Amino acid sequence: MEKFKITFYPDNKTIEVEKGKNILSAAISAGVYINSSCGGDGVCGRCKVILKKGQVITQPTGRISLDERKKGFYLACLTTIQSDLDVEVPSESRLDLEKLSPEEIDLRLKGLYSESEEVEPPESILGEEIFVHSPLATKLYLELPPPDLEDKISDLERLYRQIRRIQDIPIMQTGLSNIRRLGELLRASDWKITLTLGKRNGTTELVLIEPGNTSHKNFGLAFDIGTTTISGQLVDLNTKKVLGTKATYNKQASFGSDIITRIIYAQEQDGLEKLHHAVIDGMNQMIQELIHEHNIDLNDVNCILCAGNTTMVHLLLRVDPTYIRRQPYVPVANFVPTIRASEAGIKINPRGLLSCVPGISSYVGGDVTAGVLSCGLDSTEDLSILIDIGTNGEIVLGNRDFLISASASAGPAFEGSGVSCGMRSSRGAIQKVKITPGDFQVTYNTIGTSTALSADGERSRTIGEAKPHGICGSGYIDIIAQVLRAGLLDKNGKIKMLKHRRIRDGEYGREFVLAFKEETDSTSDIVITEVDIENIKRAKAAIYSATAALVKYMALDFSKIKKIFIAGGFGTCIDTDNAISIGLLPDLDRSKFIFVGNSSLAGARAILLSYEAMKQANEIAKKITYFELSVEPGYMDEYMAALFFPHTDLSKFPSTKEGRL
Amino acid sequence: MAGELMLEKWSGAVSVINIGSTKEEGGTRSRVIQVGGEAALPFLFQEGVIPHKPVIAFEIWDTAPADWPQELTKSYAGVLANPFVWAQMCVKEYKAELLCIKLQGAHPDFTDKSPDEEAKFISQLLKKVDVPLIILGCGDDTKDNLVLPACCEAAKGERCLVGSAVQDNYKTLTAAVLADGHNIIAESPIDINIAKQLNILISDMGLPLERIVINPTIGALGYGLEYAYSIMERARLAALAGDKTVASPFICLVGQESWRAKEAKALMNEFPTWGPESERGAIWEAVTATALIQAGADILVMRHPRAIEKVNKYIEELMK
Repeated sequence: MEKFKITFYPDNKTIEVEKGKNILSAAISAGVYINSSCGGDGVCGRCKVILKKGQVITQPTGRISLDERKKGFYLACLTTIQSDLDVEVPSESRLDLEKLSPEEIDLRLKGLYSESEEVEPPESILGEEIFVHSPLATKLYLELPPPDLEDKISDLERLYRQIRRIQDIPIMQTGLSNIRRLGELLRASDWKITLTLGKRNGTTELVLIEPGNTSHKNFGLAFDIGTTTISGQLVDLNTKKVLGTKATYNKQASFGSDIITRIIYAQEQDGLEKLHHAVIDGMNQMIQELIHEHNIDLNDVNCILCAGNTTMVHLLLRVDPTYIRRQPYVPVANFVPTIRASEAGIKINPRGLLSCVPGISSYVGGDVTAGVLSCGLDSTEDLSILIDIGTNGEIVLGNRDFLISASASAGPAFEGSGVSCGMRSSRGAIQKVKITPGDFQVTYNTIGTSTALSADGERSRTIGEAKPHGICGSGYIDIIAQVLRAGLLDKNGKIKMLKHRRIRDGEYGREFVLAFKEETDSTSDIVITEVDIENIKRAKAAIYSATAALVKYMALDFSKIKKIFIAGGFGTCIDTDNAISIGLLPDLDRSKFIFVGNSSLAGARAILLSYEAMKQANEIAKKITYFELSVEPGYMDEYMAALFFPHTDLSKFPSTKEGRL
Repeated sequence: MAGELMLEKWSGAVSVINIGSTKEEGGTRSRVIQVGGEAALPFLFQEGVIPHKPVIAFEIWDTAPADWPQELTKSYAGVLANPFVWAQMCVKEYKAELLCIKLQGAHPDFTDKSPDEEAKFISQLLKKVDVPLIILGCGDDTKDNLVLPACCEAAKGERCLVGSAVQDNYKTLTAAVLADGHNIIAESPIDINIAKQLNILISDMGLPLERIVINPTIGALGYGLEYAYSIMERARLAALAGDKTVASPFICLVGQESWRAKEAKALMNEFPTWGPESERGAIWEAVTATALIQAGADILVMRHPRAIEKVNKYIEELMK
């Protein structure tokens, strides 16, 4: 197929593309960011470019004035390439990311900003093979028989006929913009084209028609949008292979660390806009990093699947979340139809699709649905609990017959936010700690990045190579359990005053030094303060008491529970004994606990890869009932009782009492 | 038809606290006051033993109280400025069996007495009266952490009841009480969980649970009495069900709370329909006390001699 060189100015970036492609998609491939809010339908008129040299075919549009036309203006999305081109992108057509004032950028990034980092991909408990492979977007390469006097059906019907010869798709939709360029495109590409078919609310949409065969390049993204952390994953939709997984702090945190503050902020002037931008900026940036690292053309990223709590999904879609926090706490939408990603401001292929995992209620969102799906809670007879330890702790109890959920505001401490030396579980985070009683010697492991083969040939992580930079959730659990055991901490969370080089009074109360500056990768000592301990205590109390209240409400007790899935962004290496001895988890047979990491992301990926999984997620979301803890009189009491290490009722934690922990 | 009483069987009991120590035990008190030990809810004698009656402690201050209403100060005319005489009056005239000394004078906003002065005051007081003592700090944590250890030491061997330890400030007092052989008051803000947590924290430091008295914090009649009542009831039910960590006797600061109520101290010319203040204040205090006795109070710290007399009679009746 004929190829042309397109050069964009003032960027001076050149890209080679097939004949018949439009300028917008060439710009995306070249990494030149042009505004396009309609997703290439030729409606918004924001993708104006100036043609300096070369031949194009364009469709008439009212968005270009006569005056502009004389100056060589074209709409990039409606203009197909016919020769080598020189194209100038005027500043008003550039993506507005750079338009932020320095102050605004500072505000957005205040304190919390960090580059997204590689994290371990979460594993799906069920394995991948349970759902039929049918991704949100599939690509299909077709070689159509050209029409002749014998076979005169129209171009579009010809296309449909060819598709139905391969797949049984009863209902298909095609956008007008695709039909407008179809005739030209089919002929320019010698009747050899690649279709992107999207699953869209029960029908199949002919999302995109490209010249030539690009069917081997079909990528999608799964996202878990948490209040504190956003995790994303790039997936090859053909092979189901995960290419990369990243996590970054949600930049919305500069507008408030919990969802209620953010909902209030959304009501301020431009508040909703700012919150919306904060989340999509983070996602877009992560997408950019992922595609660059894996050398992928953004045009080949055709769909994105998001799981998030209800508020996060509202903010992602720029939907007013106000009514979530007003009685009777009703969201605008739990089941969001599949939309074009560009409508939400997500930069992938401009016609690519965005779908959200359906949510359950205002305070139990699609992230929980995805978690339930990935842990298979809804498909077993055994009573199980899923505890997702995030800023909002979510708990689901049930089996194939019933599912009930509750939500508890835990705060971001376990995600390494709001604690003095906290960080996400990424390179340099202290994740395991041992403190010897008596002399208080500290040994710790940090998350390293290099891997080595262990003797039995299994891939194992080499730990302890990276210098410590901070403490992640599992590290905090270990530290508190260990200082309790070493007799350094009273059950209320106050550090005892002892003459020791590791114990001192700091700016935020008494603190215990875990690692002195010299041994760290940080500019100061790594410490845990009494304020940190108080934050962790509240977080663990919220999670434990919500779980206990839910079990009690169902007239069950913990002994009836067969499995407890622990999900959360703080890594999969929590020490069960330690988590029990601080009272985060109930004191049960250790074999009942299964750590699943980010089950929301794992579930989102399953749904991205299978329409079957999407249907099941819909079923799950409809099935789960919601138990409102805030109106449950016993909950506050449970919470107060849990504000102690491990618990005010020590008989609930026999292991600690018997000295086994 | 003759009804049969349904009796509850309890597995636990409240611990017994001894206040005061006699010559035989190395102290100088004339007698030992025992409280607690209940193995049933208040006065349900058929369900379990109730070995000790609730006791009333007269509240006295180390400095003349400035804001006590006239009706109250009338009963202690001429003695308020001299705590020793005040104490002796309570013992001799009003037959007090237990005294509660509030060291208000140590408060930085009052006379800011030094720990040394207060320690000396306690040792002198112990010479002037021979009844067991309850010693209360001034309520300023920093100052109490200096004053109370000094007083504990001055009263070493007398097995006093000293308070109050609170959740954020219990270590210094616990250590002092432990060193000098006293009992401790653990104060919590009408919250059963905190009451329990504080008991655990204190016992974790080595002071046996059997030397802790809970101050659950109360409200007077009309000022949240029922909150205190239900917290005390819940704690007592847990104790009787076998939870040792809340099986402590209760001390209730009845006088302090009752005399803060407008209904107790307002003069008749302000509210003619309320009746004479000479009756009203004492009744308010007595009614508050009797309600709390029904909730399980073991020690009542009270102020008005007539209220104390009435409540003592009431206790006598109940214990028959």
